[in-house]
Parts: sequence; C-alpha cells; structure tokens
Amino acid sequence: MIDYFALALGHGLLAFALLRLFMREGLDSDPLIAEIEAETQSNRKAASVSGRNAARRARDRSAPTGGGTAPGAEAGEG
Amino acid sequence: MLDLAFLAFIGYVLVLGLRRPFLWVLLYVYIDILAPQRIGYSAIAALPVSLIAFAAAFGGWIALDRKEGARFTLRQGLLALLLLYCFWTTGHADFPEDAATKWDWVWKALLFAIFLPLTLTTRARIEGLALVLLLSIATIVIGTGMKTILGGGGYSNLKFFVNDNSGIYESSTLATVAIGLIPMLWWFVRHGTVFRPHWLVTGFAVALTFACLLVPIGTEARTGLLCIAALGGLMLRYTKRRFLFIAGAGLLGMAALPFLPQSYYERMSTLAQPSGDESASTRVAVWKWTLDYVTQKPFGGGFDAYRSNKFNYVMPVKETDGNTTTVTYQAVEDKGRAYHSSFFEMLGEQGWPGLIIWLSLHFVGLWQMERIQRRWKKAEDEATRWIAPLAAALQMGAIIYLVGATFQGIGYQPVMLMLVGLQIGLNTYCLRIDSAKGLLARSTSRKEAVADKMHSAVAA
Repeated sequence: MIDYFALALGHGLLAFALLRLFMREGLDSDPLIAEIEAETQSNRKAASVSGRNAARRARDRSAPTGGGTAPGAEAGEG
Repeated sequence: MLDLAFLAFIGYVLVLGLRRPFLWVLLYVYIDILAPQRIGYSAIAALPVSLIAFAAAFGGWIALDRKEGARFTLRQGLLALLLLYCFWTTGHADFPEDAATKWDWVWKALLFAIFLPLTLTTRARIEGLALVLLLSIATIVIGTGMKTILGGGGYSNLKFFVNDNSGIYESSTLATVAIGLIPMLWWFVRHGTVFRPHWLVTGFAVALTFACLLVPIGTEARTGLLCIAALGGLMLRYTKRRFLFIAGAGLLGMAALPFLPQSYYERMSTLAQPSGDESASTRVAVWKWTLDYVTQKPFGGGFDAYRSNKFNYVMPVKETDGNTTTVTYQAVEDKGRAYHSSFFEMLGEQGWPGLIIWLSLHFVGLWQMERIQRRWKKAEDEATRWIAPLAAALQMGAIIYLVGATFQGIGYQPVMLMLVGLQIGLNTYCLRIDSAKGLLARSTSRKEAVADKMHSAVAA
C-alpha cells in the first residue's frame, strides 16, 4: 500500500512537471541568452549602418563638392 | 496493473518527446534511477525500456535537437578518458567474466554522463533534469520514510521497490543520495520555476527532507549518519546565525533520540568501535590490501579485482545469556571482500591513472561550483539569481557524495554521474552567459564609439 502511494505520488508529480516543461517556451532556446544575443545583433547592425554612414561623410568631407555641409547632417542622420 | 501504469507513463513521455525531444533524455534519467522494469512483473520486465529510452534520448538529440550552445568540456574529456581507460583495464582484468559484467553497466553510465551536458543548453533544461532526478529519488525516499515511521525499518530489513541490493536500491547508496539531494530540494523551494514557490511546495519539501533524514535511520546505514553530519557542517557556511543553528540542530537531535530504535544505537555504536563489526573491521584490511596490490599492479586489476583478496583476523563476538554477556575472540577468515570505498575501488580496479582521473573529475567540479557561486552571488535579477544557489546545492551534494563514497564502492554510481553531468551543464551555461555578455559589451562600446564619431562628423 505504501509502495503504491509513493509510486502514485512520485509519478503524478513527474507527469505534471514534464507537462509543464513540454509547454514551456524556453525549453529549447534560452530566453536570457537569446535576449543578450538579440541586443548584440542590434548593436552590431546599428554600429555597421552608422559606421558606414560616418565613413561616407568623412570621405565626402575630404573630397569637397562645393557644399560645405556634411550630407549626413542635411539628412538629419544621427 | 502496475506494469500498465508504468507503460502508460513511459508512453506519455515518449509522446510528449515527439515535439520536445529533450523529454526523452529525462525519460532515460527516470528509468535509469527508478528502474520500473525491475519493479513491474510481466510486460514491462520483458521490454527493453532502458534501451528504448536511451535510443530515443540520443537519437532525438542527434536528429531533432537544435544543439545550440552544446559544448564538449574538460570534465567530459575526463569522463571519456576514464571510459577508455576502463575499457582497457577490462581487457586486462584479473577476473575477465566479473569485469565484463560490471563493464556492461559502467560504460552506459559514463557514456550517458558524457552525453548529458550536451543537452543542457537552457535554464529550463537544467531545472528539468534536476527536478526529474529529485522526483525519481523522492519516489523511493517517500516509501522508505513512511515504512520507517510505521515500523518496517532495520538493517537489511527495510523493503524497497526492488530488493536486490543493487544500484540506488542499496541502503547506504540510497542514504547518501537522499541526504545529498536535500540542498537541491531547498533550491527548488526558493528558485523553482516548474513548481513555483508556494506553501504547498514548502510543505512537500519539509516532508521530503524529513523522509530523506529517515532513510539512514530506517536502513541503519552508518554512512548516512556521516552524510547528515557533513550536510550540517556544510550548511554552516550558508547560515547567518551559526551559533543558533548549531544549538537548534543539537536540540533537534536530542529530541529525536527517544524515537530511535535500539537496533539503530547498536549499529551506530560500531562507528566508534569498528573492531566489533565484521563489515567495518574488514574495511581497513581491504584498504591495506589494495595499497599493497597497486604496488604490484599500478595500472589496476580491472573491475572486481578485489575478488583475489583474503584475510585472517581475530574478531570479538558477544554472546548474551540472561544477564551475562560473554565476549569471545574468534579467528575469522574472509576473502573476496569488496572495497567499501570508492577511492580504493578506483585505485584497485583502475590503478593510479584511474584514481587520478576520477579525483580530477570531482575536484574540478567542486572548484567550478565554487567559482560559479562567487561569480553570481550578487546577481539579483530573476534571470540569474538562481545560479549561485544551485551551484552551492550541487557543490554540497558532491561533497556529501564524496563523504559517502569514502565508505562505499559507488565510484561509477549513475545518479552521481548524472549530478556530474548537471554540474557540467550549469558551468557551460554560465560560461555561455558570460561569453554572450562579453560580446554585448563589445558591441555596445563599438556602437557608442561609432555614435560619437558620427556626432563629431555632424558637428564638423
């Protein structure tokens, strides 16, 4: 009787725990690491786009076209 | 009926695993610990459920898992080295047939311990494994605790689900594992996300802790008492009011004394007088024999090399007749005594190289858990504050295991190897967070540098 009780309780808890894990979003992909990686990716993207723009502006300044104002500033980038 | 219930449970997990293959890994953990095929009588005993679960776990990981963040680490390398070394010693064993029998389960336990950390790539998986380990053992411990309270205890008398004295169903092993898991149980009370902190969870933890403490009493396993003492000592590190803790533990112990059976006192008294007990007195003789043995065979004698040992010694035997107790000294011949210590088990079977690998495996683990505790102890956000306490719980579990292992041959115990796998998984996970945070910091500073450059360009 005790054995049946212990087995039933243990298996009931195990079945519930496994169901909770089955339904959990973060079981196969960790939310914390995914969040950090997404932020890193967005930083890299921002740095590369801005970097390209900054480099273009620097190039434009070193080869004057007669304007006098940086093109980026006109476009309101920043 | 029992067989059908087990098969239904296994079928349920197999179905869930079709979408979440990691659950098959947990299924193997459950089967390996609880051994339902040995509890049941007919259908389940005929099916190779362990093999099915292992194939599902490994195949599911190979074919369906993302394997994102899976890394092969130093400790997995040590496990692989130990596996290869055991394979070599089995080929050169003193007792080839006995060695082959032990090799048959040891290689599976080692291989699974190497594989397990590769699957532990998320917090949910780490918690899932810890929970299945805990609940599988809790299933055995609950029954044991209840039988002890209801008077079914006693050395070699307490009946488990399986009564062949093997694996976790050996009384001292169960006592060690049960005590070693108490810190992890209390980690769940505070940091669990599958079963969130709730008074029901706390109530269950209190009852289960009590049941765990009853295992060494019910089984009268002396090692269990040493493990409880080790747990008490380790808890002092995490207790703010140490004096109060010591006084409280002392009072609790005193209050429990009247409820302990006489047979328990008699068995525990042999801790102080090992010469009065055959099992305890031969231990030292076997350990001395092992040290002599490895001077002849420094690379070990393969599994079950102890079978060649033989001792003659004199032991006091007490006989009570009415009010008179007479002590006579009898010569005892003993042979083929097991090591009764994992340290000497490794030394005798795998020689100095095996012992060094095994010790490195465990001591590197203790150091890693210490490093994680120090690195993450100030973390306060929900996403990381669980890390340091889990490392502390796993470290305590590992030390309690090593205390228990000093007096039992459990060097390749699958549950302990799973705990090693869990430690490796946690360490790798923490390194991944650190690595991701490092990359984030670099990308942030680069972004800021570019923004500064841009602002200066705009200003120009």
